[in-house]
Amino acid sequence: MSKGMGAWRRRTFLGGALAGMVAAPAVLRAAPPGKPVRVGGTLSLTGFLAQTAAIHKIAAEIMVEEINGRDGFLGRPIEYVLLDDQSKPDVARSLYEKLITVDKVDLIQGPYATAPILAAMGVAQRYGKIIIQSSMGIPKLQTYDMAFPATPFGPEPDKSYPNVILDAMATLSPAPKSMVVLTSKFPSAQFMAQGMRTEAEKRGVKVPLFLEYEAGNRDFGAIAARVKEANADFLWVGSLGLESNQILEALRKLDYRPKNSFHLYPAPGPLALSPDGNLVWSSTFLEPDEPFMSRPGMKRIAEHYKERATKANLPYPIIDAQAAGMAAQWQILEQGVNGAKSLEDKQIAAWLKKNVVTTVYGPTKFDGPYNHGAPAQLIRQVQNKEWKVVWPKDLAAPGVKLING
Amino acid sequence: MPSATLLGQALISGVLAGGMYGLLALGLSLSWGLLRLVNLSHFALAFLAAYLTYEMGTTYHIDPWWSVLVIVPAMFVIGLLQHWVFDRFKVNELASLLITFSFAVILEVAIQLYWTADYRRFETHYSTLSIKVGAFYIPVLELILCLVAGVLAWGTWLWLRKTYVGKALRASAEDAEIAAAYGVDHKKLAYLLSGLGAAYAGVAGTFIALIATLAPAQIWAWLGVVFAVVIIGRLGNPLGALFAGMLIGASESIAMAVLSPAWAPVVSFSVLIVLLLWDPDWS
Amino acid sequence: MADLLTVQSLSAGYGRAVVLSDVTFALGEGQALAVLGRNGVGKTTLIDSLIGVTRRFAGSVRFSGKEIATLSPEARAQRGIGWVPQERNVFRSLSVEENLTAVARPGPWTADRVFGLFPRLAERRHHAGSALSGGEQQMLAIGRALATNPKLLLLDEPTEGLAPIIVQEVLAAIARLLREEGLAAIVVEQHARKILPITDRAVILERGRIVHESASAALLADATPLERLLGVTER
Repeated sequence: MSKGMGAWRRRTFLGGALAGMVAAPAVLRAAPPGKPVRVGGTLSLTGFLAQTAAIHKIAAEIMVEEINGRDGFLGRPIEYVLLDDQSKPDVARSLYEKLITVDKVDLIQGPYATAPILAAMGVAQRYGKIIIQSSMGIPKLQTYDMAFPATPFGPEPDKSYPNVILDAMATLSPAPKSMVVLTSKFPSAQFMAQGMRTEAEKRGVKVPLFLEYEAGNRDFGAIAARVKEANADFLWVGSLGLESNQILEALRKLDYRPKNSFHLYPAPGPLALSPDGNLVWSSTFLEPDEPFMSRPGMKRIAEHYKERATKANLPYPIIDAQAAGMAAQWQILEQGVNGAKSLEDKQIAAWLKKNVVTTVYGPTKFDGPYNHGAPAQLIRQVQNKEWKVVWPKDLAAPGVKLING
Repeated sequence: MPSATLLGQALISGVLAGGMYGLLALGLSLSWGLLRLVNLSHFALAFLAAYLTYEMGTTYHIDPWWSVLVIVPAMFVIGLLQHWVFDRFKVNELASLLITFSFAVILEVAIQLYWTADYRRFETHYSTLSIKVGAFYIPVLELILCLVAGVLAWGTWLWLRKTYVGKALRASAEDAEIAAAYGVDHKKLAYLLSGLGAAYAGVAGTFIALIATLAPAQIWAWLGVVFAVVIIGRLGNPLGALFAGMLIGASESIAMAVLSPAWAPVVSFSVLIVLLLWDPDWS
Repeated sequence: MADLLTVQSLSAGYGRAVVLSDVTFALGEGQALAVLGRNGVGKTTLIDSLIGVTRRFAGSVRFSGKEIATLSPEARAQRGIGWVPQERNVFRSLSVEENLTAVARPGPWTADRVFGLFPRLAERRHHAGSALSGGEQQMLAIGRALATNPKLLLLDEPTEGLAPIIVQEVLAAIARLLREEGLAAIVVEQHARKILPITDRAVILERGRIVHESASAALLADATPLERLLGVTER
């Protein structure tokens, strides 16, 4: 099943990078001369994950320009060879195979979403390539010792993150005593939902209703009726994309609004802007506020992102954890290459394991199980149609507090 | 055991959600049953109409009840053009699958180029309105959808039963050569029907824009269930398509309320298999 | 009187096979022609050539003064050629009444008049075509052709495979159409004696050619050509 998109399949960003430098005053230096270092990767430019690829592609373009604006990789310019895996793991597998054996790229970057990452990781392992990814929500699946996570899920987010949420819930008055856990059967959402139920019950929060729905579920009417009937104090939703909007709308059609609700991986724009989205919680790793904006390079990347995303007609042109993950992937690779002073995969991996890398997510280590460092998953809340980090308190934007719904 | 309120509410939601299946199945069932053309691009056309509704609503602030007056005739013309291709290349049932699949993929790419792959949501102040009847809530938009689908299905059914054109189409569908020998101009009728099918996709698209999520890949999300609905409702039978849609919608919804929501996708195909084996004669 | 149908030197067949060779005959308004011959001599091919589903190699077919040999089947039907196929081919998924109205064109023959001709069909008007007996299907096939209000009716073996009592009923109806209504018709038949009494003229085909042409009455009076060409020895 070919989607016949020859022009899209292969795109190098060197040309775009050079053009970008004329336009963007932040990048002052020309790309270093010399034969480009080619970094290959795929994104789901088409298919059901395509809306995420648009975000990652912009973030990657910005980072390639940034890196070329500094010193490239060891004084050579870099070129991102991007292919479209069509949201299919088998396509991702063969494309990584092609990138490594046919295109003979120097380095690779991971794709988006657990299934394509697992496919790419298998290929990387076979050829001894280092692979960095930012969106594998189930860390224990990352068993390859040269695979590195760019996003600080921590080694066991199904245990650590539910407790972050329970901590935040405990500060509400009155504190919720029961929660409905509703989740997509998408593996990374289901994984977190099971953890949420276990941890909640451990801490005395009852889970009277635990529901799983198939990814791509079309009608939430019956599910909403069950959630309403359970009428718990808190609603935890393991949602992807627009499912949260659909669930909240279905609930509103039944004239029911959960007092507080948490949404795992929603489409941030539509949920923030929806009338149903006010004060809902979600997971994040950073938002374009302090203290995150003070991290090195973050302000510039956020500005570029807004500019490009607006130009690309994306409805939510604000940098968030999605785009930041891709930025971190490139920051890690850049620091790994520079630190190891080598383009050799083994040396880069060895250096990363021994050192601390600074990314948009802050200082990052890879010394724990599955190459993960400490978890840093946060809670954000929609306040006045904008996402604000509200928990933990020390990372909340100045003057922002968790509001009880 | 779920409460009566929950079951009743699930039934209402399901039947109303099934109205969308029926509406999407309508055009597909007509072209498959009466022209022997399996139009996979029906869903892509519906989504094109949905995106146009979205665009006209968000960019130009045109109410969907007005934009539908432009979109549906435009879809009719697209249906005619599409049929010109079928006619020109003498496309048969199998080839129609391949050609319309390609057409759907091209439309998907075109939609993604213009509207990006990101989710689009057409927010309206009435999208979540409900009427309360006793203990139950009836969502207004879905109710209107079902009424429109009902009027279209009933009207089409009457048209096929009562008018010369409708009966000639059915005669042609059964045996085009014999019908031609009695003066039925199958070609002209086929154009009309193709246009009509696409126009129905346009109507469905308007409701998709108001009710569902827009993303290019969503074009394929309805495929399986609507195909099941078309077959359960019998090819070329508009009322069958609508009732089958509501049957599937209700079954899915009850399964979600009583068993687990994850059972929903299994339901439509289980119903299909049971009905194919049982083969009740209710046509 | 101008001829309704003039077939001149017609050669036709299917694919590359020539079945009819150099067939010439004419039919006046209100006349009925019997086409006789053994199996496989080209009788049905002649009918098919008139409705326009064969391949024409040579010759012309003029109908109501206009050449129709190049027209599509639907255009010929619209000009007034009504056909009762050998296989009947009623629309099985349509009801009896719908079979009549789906192809109806304006004129004296309405569904109700057809029901007058075949009261059995009136009783079964809401039944599906698939639910009819062979005889009823034949009646419906004739009625359906009548509903198009043809100037010329083509009947291809209308009594084949029917029970004797039904044959009588169908023949009576055809006789009424030809004699009382004065409808022009071409009737293909293997059993000459059934049809000669109700037709004006007769042709006998052999290997795709017309080998005998005369008034029907003459053939009834002197059956020698029938015995010679068809091997008919009955009565």
